[in-house]
Amino acid sequence: MPKSLLSIQGVTKNFAEVKALHEINLEIYSGQIVGLVGSNGAGKTTLLRLMAGVYKPSNGTVNLSNGESVTTMRHELGVVPESTGLYSRLTAWENIRYHSRMHGIPDSISWARTEKFAEHLDMKDSLSRHTKGFSRGMKQKTALLRALAHGPNILLLDEPTAGLDITSARTVRALVRQLRDEGGTVIYSTHQLAEAQQVCDRIVIIHNGEIRADGSPSKLLEDTGTVSLEEAYVSLTQDQARTREEDNDKESAFSGWWRRLFTPRTPKTTREVMESE
Amino acid sequence: MSEGSFLRVRAIAKKEVVEFTRDWRTIIAIIVIPLLMFPLLFILFPVLLQSEAAELDALELSIVIQTDGLPENLAENISLSSINYTIELLPNLTSLSEPGKDIERVRNSSTDAVLRFESNDDVWGYAILHLSTSERSTEARYRLLTTLSEWEDSEVRERIELGGLDVNTTLDPLRWDGEISAGDVATSGEQSGMILSLFIPLVLAIWTYSSAIQPSIDMTAGERERGTLEALLCLPCTRMELLMGKWLAVATITGVGVLLQIFGLLFAIGYLASSSFIGVPQLSMVSIGLIVLSIMLFAIMVVAFELALAMRSHSVKEAGSILAPALMLILFPALFTQVINLDGIEGFWFAIPVVNILLALRELLMNRVITEHVLIWAFSSVVYASLAAYYASRQFNREDIVTSLS
Repeated sequence: MPKSLLSIQGVTKNFAEVKALHEINLEIYSGQIVGLVGSNGAGKTTLLRLMAGVYKPSNGTVNLSNGESVTTMRHELGVVPESTGLYSRLTAWENIRYHSRMHGIPDSISWARTEKFAEHLDMKDSLSRHTKGFSRGMKQKTALLRALAHGPNILLLDEPTAGLDITSARTVRALVRQLRDEGGTVIYSTHQLAEAQQVCDRIVIIHNGEIRADGSPSKLLEDTGTVSLEEAYVSLTQDQARTREEDNDKESAFSGWWRRLFTPRTPKTTREVMESE
Repeated sequence: MSEGSFLRVRAIAKKEVVEFTRDWRTIIAIIVIPLLMFPLLFILFPVLLQSEAAELDALELSIVIQTDGLPENLAENISLSSINYTIELLPNLTSLSEPGKDIERVRNSSTDAVLRFESNDDVWGYAILHLSTSERSTEARYRLLTTLSEWEDSEVRERIELGGLDVNTTLDPLRWDGEISAGDVATSGEQSGMILSLFIPLVLAIWTYSSAIQPSIDMTAGERERGTLEALLCLPCTRMELLMGKWLAVATITGVGVLLQIFGLLFAIGYLASSSFIGVPQLSMVSIGLIVLSIMLFAIMVVAFELALAMRSHSVKEAGSILAPALMLILFPALFTQVINLDGIEGFWFAIPVVNILLALRELLMNRVITEHVLIWAFSSVVYASLAAYYASRQFNREDIVTSLS
């Protein structure tokens, strides 16, 4: 049995009245690629943010193997959020160096690690360029280099291939597998089942804030008695998906009233459409 | 603060300043405009005024003089003022100031002004009809008044001489003996401090606030909108370190802007306007130290307040629409403070937010260190700065600041 690196016990996360995650129990073991699979609004990003210590759980704990909370051990983590979070007026290397310095890593060490992975991602010549003109793929690769530069034990990737072309997506997936082969642990959020099947050793299906299944792709097929992951996913998530309520901004009574005052009523009939013109 | 914490705060501040100054618009906003604003104003404005005045001086004006007999020397003087005139008889009016039928020709500019001049035994009566919204007409009135005043002066002197009196002793029986400026016992340094105290606090307050708006928004709501904040919050730095780093960066940018503006202002006033107009204020080391302290406390409060408001906002647009009108919170107290009399001022004024620091600066620039006032403004400012910092830290600790573009 591999060593447990990250332990999520009885975690619930609420945003006002909305339950984003409910009673999540999950152990992350070393040397695995764990795929978090779910539709938009399922709770993948919320779970990743809890693992990264950005959110605090409403109930339960998110601890590393030594019992420490992730918020105090963030240098163990490398995070690539979906938006990549690169500063456009800095070069790729400056972006990487900034994060490494925040991790307390000397520039020489982070440069050596960056050079090694940049070679693999075909990014070496782009490290001195400002990220403003970067394509989505280059941004994603830079964010990946940034997350790796300080030598984290666990890599959290939020939809790392979203919006990438086929070649870039293949390169990213290949790097992820290489990291796993070198003993690294990767948590890989995606809503593409084919990708999860291709990359992940273990798949956690999240739906409406709950874990519906957790196991290797073959185990999921076995448990659900289906022949494809798509069918397995459909059988596990038959109830209607909710919207991303946690992203809805809270609005004061006055703001709501004011907004409604200047929002014309949506017409419901052809006659009303014609009258509104 | 541990060494690691210090290094992280420094790294955040350094990155923010580097990133911010890589935008050429920022360089214009924080360096070029503050540095050149006042010198340009002080150079261009007088040049413009001089050119306008020269243009007016060169104008040949035409007026109508309605009179029952104009003294010859007065008519001559009017001609010498580049005024062409035609003489008409005085109309029948209840008073010379009544426009009567002449209103139309002054309003439609067929004449620049009408001078009515009437003899009444030893006294002359006059009135000038003019159109105050016309520069030609206003200039005609000004030249006529100058000419009439000179003529009146010579008439007075003539009459005094005719009465057998000495003109000088009759007109000027009370005289200042010696140099008027020698009677002011304030030193030139104190006088300079007094003049500076009238505008330095105002400029400082307004510019500190306004120049902190853009970086505050960029480093908070801007980060949030661009999706860079989430990656930052995953790093091993506390939210307080994040706030301190960003505060340091905004304070540095704002400080540079304010210093450059004050430098430009002093250069413009002291060098371009008149080198004797203002000098170096005479300040003790205590005053200088307290000035620095007051500015620091003010900057802590203002920048923390702006960072907090910007962090509360969901977008750059929203932050801008909150921070820009909030300038009124600084502007009104700043203007109000300028008219408060400092002699015998009550202590409570030094406890009012914003007003306290501006009054403190006014006093200190005049080298007045009044212990009671210093204690009140220092204590109240520490309280306000702490409250602003606490409010900012609360905003930075909110979970919903992590709304990414996803």
